[in-house]
Amino acid sequence: MTVPPDPRAGVSRRSFLKGSAVAGLASTGLTAAATAADGPTTFGPGAHDIVLTVNGAERKVAVETRTTLLDALRDGLDLTGAKRICDRGACGGCTVLLDGQPVNSCLVLAIDAIGRPVQTVESLAQGDLPHPLLEAFVHCDALQCGYCTPGMVMSSLACLQQRGRPTREQMQHDLAGNLCRCGTYGRVFAAIERTAQAGGK
Amino acid sequence: MQPFTYVLPENLSQADAAARQPDTVLKGGGIDLVDRMKERLQTPARVVSLLPLRAELGGIAVEADGGVRLGALATLAELERHPALATPALAGLREAAASTASPQLRNRATVAGNLLQFTRCWYVRSEAFRCVHGGRGPTCLAVTGDNRYHAVMGYSDCVRVHPSNLAPPLLALDAEYTTVLEGKTRRRKLAELFPSDPRGQAPEHTLAAGEIVTALHVPPQPASARTSYAESREKQSFDWATTACAVRVVLDGGVIEAATVVLGAVAPVPLPRPAARLMLGQKPSAALFQKVADAAFTGALPLSQNGYKVTVGKAIVREALERATR
Repeated sequence: MTVPPDPRAGVSRRSFLKGSAVAGLASTGLTAAATAADGPTTFGPGAHDIVLTVNGAERKVAVETRTTLLDALRDGLDLTGAKRICDRGACGGCTVLLDGQPVNSCLVLAIDAIGRPVQTVESLAQGDLPHPLLEAFVHCDALQCGYCTPGMVMSSLACLQQRGRPTREQMQHDLAGNLCRCGTYGRVFAAIERTAQAGGK
Repeated sequence: MQPFTYVLPENLSQADAAARQPDTVLKGGGIDLVDRMKERLQTPARVVSLLPLRAELGGIAVEADGGVRLGALATLAELERHPALATPALAGLREAAASTASPQLRNRATVAGNLLQFTRCWYVRSEAFRCVHGGRGPTCLAVTGDNRYHAVMGYSDCVRVHPSNLAPPLLALDAEYTTVLEGKTRRRKLAELFPSDPRGQAPEHTLAAGEIVTALHVPPQPASARTSYAESREKQSFDWATTACAVRVVLDGGVIEAATVVLGAVAPVPLPRPAARLMLGQKPSAALFQKVADAAFTGALPLSQNGYKVTVGKAIVREALERATR
């Protein structure tokens, strides 16, 4: 007996939602940023094409004024590493580096990130070659459900970049904004230590 | 979030003009504002961003007279790390900045935003409740409701507490703030930023509509000045204070020559306490600090669930005083 082909094959929930979002934008029409001769630059309230500098590349993305950096990354640029969990700056799941500093991308308006380097967890793998910090997370078994992990990794990366060989106390200070319901903190600290000892940032 | 027009001024005069348009709010880091806009507690037609003015409104600098200027857009992370704050006289300010929220938030949260943020009262911050705050309803719901984090003193018809960590140390240091409105610059004592008779219907601050805070100024400190900041909370990190205390003391030959005690998180405004005067001309001692801590909470009238704040708050006052005189 042959199994009939699944009509949904090739269309993931994500690509379906993305398609609908683009259709929605098209119907509202894109408005260009208006700048009066002697007045300030204004955006919105409709959608705009802006350019964000993400992981070293300039990426065009359509956003509204109310679109957060997190939503621009996830829905506009298909960079779904940063997670939308609390969406209120309380959990750290959406942590990315902006100007090299960890921020909650759910509280940053996408337009505020124009012209500023954004680094997401996707930057930490070149093809099949993972960053030493990712290897350390795997080696130390520093994740369970994995939902907080992209944010944990980015805060850990900032901690390593700023401190070189951080103490446990400094790790606690720097990772205080990342919550893990599975309680993997101890292993995350071990992964940071392992990366620092290997000299990897 | 409701759609809005986003205004990016190129200079302060453009920001000044844009801020005075109807249905407009000012935005710095946006930590508190974006949160409230997502909750639809605030649905402005226009948001004026001050972030393009970082060069003018940001940064931390030592001024000619030895005082320190904190740009309104200086982040809490900058306060935590800047060498100008690495002195015993400003330790309380640095500690307060470093203990606020999380690293991610401190990297975006600004000095002015911290001072001007809305109260964390869960009735005020919920679209579902209509309380006296902002004139949304007839009465304060926390008085008869869940008030474990609310005021124990200095309140009238609204028992919210002021959540700013920076306000107590800045008040203890007698800081000033500069604003711009309609092209005019004004510099006033920080105490004037907060209402003297905080009411539910009145805002948490005394700024006029469209008035832009441009900087905070910490006056020069004598070499023997010390400040410290202590707070109680339910979690070791990333939590709001349940009680907070900033103190400033100047010691001369082991005797307290000047002293200020400011409480946070216990009243609708940050609260300087006259009890600090009890220390003048005295030598630091545990007994003296206990007396000051008791007197600092004179007149406290806790609600049904927050009596602990008086007990814990006194311990926090003692801790701040001990650290400042160590």
